[in-house]
Amino acid sequence: MKNILFLLAALVIFVACTKTITPNLNTTAQQFYIQGAVSDTMGPYYVSIVNSVGFYDSSIYPGVSGATVTITDSTSGLRDALTETNTGLYVTHSLIQGIPGHTYLLNVLLNGKTYTASSTMPQPVTLDSVTFDLSDPKQILAVANYQDPPGIVNFYKYTMTINGTVDKRFLTFEDRLSDGRYIRDNIDADTGEVKKNDFVRLSLVGIDKNVYTFLHEAEQIAYNNAGLVAPANPQSNISGGCLGYFSAQTVSSKINIVRF
Amino acid sequence: MTALLGILLPLALCAQSKHNFSVAGTIKDGKSGETLNGATIGLLERPGLGVITNAYGFYSITIPEGRYSMVISFSGYTTDTIIFDLKENLVLNRSLSAGNNQLEQVVVSGRRGNNILKAPPGVQRLAIEDIKDIPVLLGEKDVLKTIQMLPGIKPAGDGKSGFYVRGGGIDQNLILLDEATVYNPSHLLGFFSVFNSDALKDISVYKGGMPASYGGRLASVEDIKMKDGNDQQLSGSGGIGLIASRFNLEGPIVKGKGSFIVSARRSYLDLFTPLASDTNVKHSKLYFYDVNMKANYRLDEKNRIFLSGYFGKDVLSMRYKGGVDWGNQTATLRWNHIFNDKLFSNTSLIFSNYNYNVQITNINSTVYVTSGITDYHFKQDFNYYLNPKSKLDFGLDITYHITQPGQAVSSNTSKFNNITLEKKHAMENAVYVSHEWSPGTKVKLIYGMRLTELAVLGPGNAYTYDKEGNIVTRTWYSDGKTIVTYWNPEPRFAATYQLDNVSSVKIAFDRNVQNIHLLNNSTTGSPTNVYLPTSNIVKPEISDQVSAGYYSYFHHRMYEFSSEIYYKTMQNQIDYKNGVNLVGNNNVEAGLLFGKGRGYGWENYIRKTSGKLTGWIGYTLSRTERQIGSINNGGWYPASQDQTHSLSVVGIYKYSRKWTFSADLVYSTGSPTTWPSAKYPVDGAPVYYYTARNGYRLPAYQRLDLGATLLLKKTAKFESDLNFSIYNAYGYANPYTIQFQQDPNNHLLTQVQQTTLFKMVPSITYNFKF
Repeated sequence: MKNILFLLAALVIFVACTKTITPNLNTTAQQFYIQGAVSDTMGPYYVSIVNSVGFYDSSIYPGVSGATVTITDSTSGLRDALTETNTGLYVTHSLIQGIPGHTYLLNVLLNGKTYTASSTMPQPVTLDSVTFDLSDPKQILAVANYQDPPGIVNFYKYTMTINGTVDKRFLTFEDRLSDGRYIRDNIDADTGEVKKNDFVRLSLVGIDKNVYTFLHEAEQIAYNNAGLVAPANPQSNISGGCLGYFSAQTVSSKINIVRF
Repeated sequence: MTALLGILLPLALCAQSKHNFSVAGTIKDGKSGETLNGATIGLLERPGLGVITNAYGFYSITIPEGRYSMVISFSGYTTDTIIFDLKENLVLNRSLSAGNNQLEQVVVSGRRGNNILKAPPGVQRLAIEDIKDIPVLLGEKDVLKTIQMLPGIKPAGDGKSGFYVRGGGIDQNLILLDEATVYNPSHLLGFFSVFNSDALKDISVYKGGMPASYGGRLASVEDIKMKDGNDQQLSGSGGIGLIASRFNLEGPIVKGKGSFIVSARRSYLDLFTPLASDTNVKHSKLYFYDVNMKANYRLDEKNRIFLSGYFGKDVLSMRYKGGVDWGNQTATLRWNHIFNDKLFSNTSLIFSNYNYNVQITNINSTVYVTSGITDYHFKQDFNYYLNPKSKLDFGLDITYHITQPGQAVSSNTSKFNNITLEKKHAMENAVYVSHEWSPGTKVKLIYGMRLTELAVLGPGNAYTYDKEGNIVTRTWYSDGKTIVTYWNPEPRFAATYQLDNVSSVKIAFDRNVQNIHLLNNSTTGSPTNVYLPTSNIVKPEISDQVSAGYYSYFHHRMYEFSSEIYYKTMQNQIDYKNGVNLVGNNNVEAGLLFGKGRGYGWENYIRKTSGKLTGWIGYTLSRTERQIGSINNGGWYPASQDQTHSLSVVGIYKYSRKWTFSADLVYSTGSPTTWPSAKYPVDGAPVYYYTARNGYRLPAYQRLDLGATLLLKKTAKFESDLNFSIYNAYGYANPYTIQFQQDPNNHLLTQVQQTTLFKMVPSITYNFKF
């Protein structure tokens, strides 16, 4: 479907012109944004709490201090109290490495309110390789290659670093229409493309359904809000009335260099 | 059906009196033999009595024996008067000659008898001749673009398919081409309508007061009739424009008995793509074509058959990315039968189809996705002319809908599985009866009832869902088994009271029911429409509307004026849950939300119908709101089509025999839209925070179009002109889309990008006729 929208966009570009406008936007009370993850790769793990900022402000989000944050492995009973290392950034100590199949609970106590989330780590799926789609010389894209396990409902997220820098474009995929297929998926980059001689590290992140729902809806809002009749805030898997997600996830990474 | 006849016929028969005879016949254009729909038949001896020819040019009046002078008038034609003695039933077929060659000919089209005084409220008819001088995008004269300048009908935006009528959605308009439903009336994502005006005779638009013979959509009916074709001589017309050309040929099959018409059109925007510097644009495909065909043959005085068809396609593809094509196909076979001087019958067999195909190309793999809807439709209509004061219309409609929500075929290397979504089957039946009655010379009533039955049929699964959208039950129904049935009576009522010779007041009430629902949650004119019939989850949409208006002519009937108000409520309106997948989803119903709608407005229209300067001003003040689930905490919020003020001004100035100038101005309040109030970082990327649905408004929409037509040559055998136009002449940047995004040059900032499609689009078209 993305491609169709792309086609339509291409047609529009063919005849259209764009300009930057600055409509007046309402301000709203600051919203907490909580994001945290536990994975099957070695910790420590982080939970960050920041405040939202106005649309026209710099994308620098003030950290929120003074929260009491714990992560509990409800399967093993291990409870880890996180400590704040930087403003709004909380780190684990006793939780060394997450285990697939275990359910992890996040508890955040902030200004007298409690926010909780639960996420179950799926079984890992291995990324075979990262290759490059060179068919369109004007837009080289990284390609994730992996086997989707048949008969299991899987949700994925891709993350990428290019030349050691984290690419902030997040991208989700579900196997709803692809169960058991060998997946070759083009990965959009924040910069739009990767270039010759770029050193690319691609991670296939296995996530659970509720995390996928949040990230998929957030992805629509971040990159395709013009195409949505009625964009709305994504469904967070953290209860208590805040934005954000807490994910117990698996990570499989591969590296490659763009050569042709 | 027989039951209905059983009730109606005795009623009709006992209304007959001994010394009455009827005069009936068909009114045609003398030159082309086209039947004239809406011609007025009056009697000098009986002022105030009069009938209007039906869609096939047929009329019938039953009056006491005597000597009469019958006056036949129709816009743009010389009025015909016949004197006859009525001693027995009489057949009077007449041909009117088109006005004359004076300049006023083009502009008298509004002078249509007592049209605005007696027609039901909310109805407007435009002949193709009426629109030919109005400037439009890229010089393609277009009925659907022109009606959007009438009050109460609002465009969904530049380059967007569809239009809103009195606060309804774009899928709530019943668009008919020779009775066949046209599901997606847009070419090129909505820049053009699929209707080639060369092939068309006229369009009737019903915003309210729908006759009981129409049903199936909430907001409006656009009944478009194709020309029958010239049955006197071979003739043709065509046009060569910047992006599309068209050709139309018509002529007799047997002179005076039958005729045909073939019209075709193709765009050639793709001829220019190889010139593009961008290699991806260079190898892209971008075109549409359509073909209209119709033939009719008069077997004898009482029987006439028509076969008409439409076929259109759009193709759009891009190198490395794949493509999409979509199109409508319709076919209509009709049989007119005159049982006797009083009873006219039309039987139609109608086929209608819309489908799209998507090809997604992705690293050596390809996925083909198809989806569509097909209708098989039988329609039987009777017009029974009891006496000049009383006419009965009755009939039945049977439609079998098959929707294919989606089917995907993937190559081996694709990441997608082959899937076939369950087809959905529904039978939609309706019977209707409507009585048009003039109890006095000043009062006219049209009242009737349409009874609709919708049966959702197997084969297929019926699901039930919990609040989270998880499947609770799944029940298999085999072929022909009924899953669920809905019965809905649709009462219709319209009353007209003529105050004096030049003014009238009208009121109307109508209920409409809709059983085919369009799912498309994209703002752009994406053709990937998913049609969903009513089911055990999706209830029939219902609207109730009351409207009232005042209508008058003034200044020697040079001007007509109307002012209408309406209030409308809508039930079972559809919206989407966050992030619902409309494509490739067997359980799409679980992602829908249902709620209520309401709309009200005041529409004003003043039109100058004769003189050197003609045109109209339309102004609408309106509001339309929705209340759906927990959206905006369960409160009423403005619907996306809510435009408070809407103004359109259309002027056509006949400067000389050679030159005609025209202009139109459109202004409307910006539509409600959902914009963010803050942002937060998801994995470091900015995501936007929303506080309310439709809490903002787009900037006001405005546009001025200019046109000029230069008559090159006009003889009895050949006519040609050059049409120049500029769309959006002062280049106002109306938004097509507005995207909130990260600033590509500074990742610490976010910005708002507005995309505008059309700024100052000039065009030139050469038109000819022979």
